[in-house]
Amino acid sequence: MKNLKALAVATALALGIGGPALAADKTLHIGFTGPLSGGAALYGENTLSGLRMAVEDVNEAGGLKIGEDTYQVELISLDDKYSPSQAATNAKRLVKESGVEAVFVPHTGGVFALQDFNVDDDFLIMAYTSVPSVTAQKNPLTVRIPPEFSNYVDSFSDYALEHYGKRLGVAGATHEYAKIWTDMITEAWKEKGGEIVASNPMDYNKSTDFYTGVSRVIAEGPDVMFVGGASEPTGLVIQQARQLGFGGGFIVMDQAKLDEIAEVTGGLDMLEGAVGVVPLSEYDSEVAQAFVDRYKQAHGKVPGSEAAYNYLAFHVLAKAMQLAGSTEPKAVRAKMGEAIAALEPKYNLYAIQGITEDGGFITPTTMAVVEDGKIVRKRVEE
Amino acid sequence: MNLLFQQVLNGLTLGSIYGLVALGLTLVYGILHIPNFAHGALYMVGAFASYFFMTDLGLHYWIAMLLSGGVVAVLAMLCERLVFHPLRNAPPIHDKIAAIGILLFLEAVVQMFWGSDFRRMASPFGGILRFDGLIIPEQRLLIIVGAFTLMLALHLFLRKTMLGSTIIAMAQSREGAFLVGIDANRVAMLTFAISGMLAAFAATLYAPINLVYPAMGHLVIMKAFVIIVLGGMGSIPGAIVGAMILGFAESFGGFYLSSDYKDIIAFSLLVVILSFRPTGLFAKGAH
Repeated sequence: MKNLKALAVATALALGIGGPALAADKTLHIGFTGPLSGGAALYGENTLSGLRMAVEDVNEAGGLKIGEDTYQVELISLDDKYSPSQAATNAKRLVKESGVEAVFVPHTGGVFALQDFNVDDDFLIMAYTSVPSVTAQKNPLTVRIPPEFSNYVDSFSDYALEHYGKRLGVAGATHEYAKIWTDMITEAWKEKGGEIVASNPMDYNKSTDFYTGVSRVIAEGPDVMFVGGASEPTGLVIQQARQLGFGGGFIVMDQAKLDEIAEVTGGLDMLEGAVGVVPLSEYDSEVAQAFVDRYKQAHGKVPGSEAAYNYLAFHVLAKAMQLAGSTEPKAVRAKMGEAIAALEPKYNLYAIQGITEDGGFITPTTMAVVEDGKIVRKRVEE
Repeated sequence: MNLLFQQVLNGLTLGSIYGLVALGLTLVYGILHIPNFAHGALYMVGAFASYFFMTDLGLHYWIAMLLSGGVVAVLAMLCERLVFHPLRNAPPIHDKIAAIGILLFLEAVVQMFWGSDFRRMASPFGGILRFDGLIIPEQRLLIIVGAFTLMLALHLFLRKTMLGSTIIAMAQSREGAFLVGIDANRVAMLTFAISGMLAAFAATLYAPINLVYPAMGHLVIMKAFVIIVLGGMGSIPGAIVGAMILGFAESFGGFYLSSDYKDIIAFSLLVVILSFRPTGLFAKGAH
């Protein structure tokens, strides 16, 4: 017992003297609730990896100076297994136990659940979801990190209509996020003179196999298939569609990333004619490449957008706290716009330009297609 | 007509995998009366073991499958020895809680070593056979042939060997088996080993057309439980017939109606069958 105590004291001393903790006298807690176990664990961990990198940046620089005080940042992450109700419980816990004033949530259901009480409990939701209604609700303490997907629907449809044809087979997914996407693309496609020949979304949480679902869509002879969900199962759907002889193009929902899909399909060959968002690894800016290299060194793989966007968002949050001179959520939210303008360029991986009144980061819309076995960036007319 | 055959093929593929997993589950239940919730985790460990042998050690697919079967068989026996055996005199609820404990433990261990990434395990059978417009990926054909071979082998083992007969005897009557001098411990371990091995084989057969990740067992085990309830808890033919019913309901329902309804169809079937035969299609004792 004595030994244990001595060890504890020694460890504390070593940490205190060795780390930069001397410079910072206080600890600032930031919350995270997301899936860290179960089927979506990978997604949650990727998100968290970006946040952790940003926290490292801040702490290694000696902490975050807010007003008179300097803080060491500590990220407190809780597992919600993708369940909205668990996310709500976690958020309550984070606020009550750790006194956090900002919570990062990477899923739509969780965001909606937190929006019920975040104003009363006074904390900021950092929402990683591109569903437009997250900000349309005008919750004053919500920040939407990625661009709304409504920006993609038009440009993706135009490309597919022009290059492949008018018959669309819908083989998306059945989670909330995918349903909203499906509705929007169905409407946009019809408006542009196209025709929906089959609609058979896959249930990624309940299906062990997509073969049946995919063959049903292909039996109707579509020119283009709408697919999407997490990248890996989307890859299986695409692979099976090609096996069943589908030769047309794909519209890929923004949740899935072309480079991650290619890992599953074994290269870009099967993805020929797919249109989707530009994966971070295809950004040619120095800032993005530096981040990709750094992430590769730390994690041994190319970062997805969930790591990159959350990395960026954390730095915006930190900057806004500095500018506000406080961690008070309303004051921080008010300084978000200024914070983005004042953000060091090396943190602004996606070149975001500002924040809308209802709390969405303004990001230039991008589009990538697979042509001749390569991912090619395309200009998007706004 | 082709579309119809395509669905028959899908149904057979799904039914084969479900069947192999359900067989292990029903064997353990029939003999030890343990609903082994950890069976899905054994299935998952089987896939990871094969993945490890193939990708990290560079072994051939078949060798990896055999080794993985061995690894999971030993793991299943350990579960029996270390967890279920000490609980043999405890109330039944303790077995159930322990099984859930093993499930969580195995998943956490795998996630610790391999992370939660989705992995692809390529098999040497990536080709596609075409017969007059009918498309059959080789791996899917292999699943069907493999599963039926394994089911036949299990049948022969249980019927034609002394060791197998002890399992049947134990399932028919515990007391009777004790009276003729059958060693209950040995039968219990053997049963767990077989169930683990079947799970590992099923996972290795299925993994190449699916993804390998720590939560991959959840769905399969859920279906397997439905199947053994449908077929009759503890019945071997019940598990096979139940698996085929579910596989075909999913493939035909998913194709001719909608993917949205395929679970409704499968579960309505369950309700209908259970209302006519409350103990399942093959009540216990029909071995």
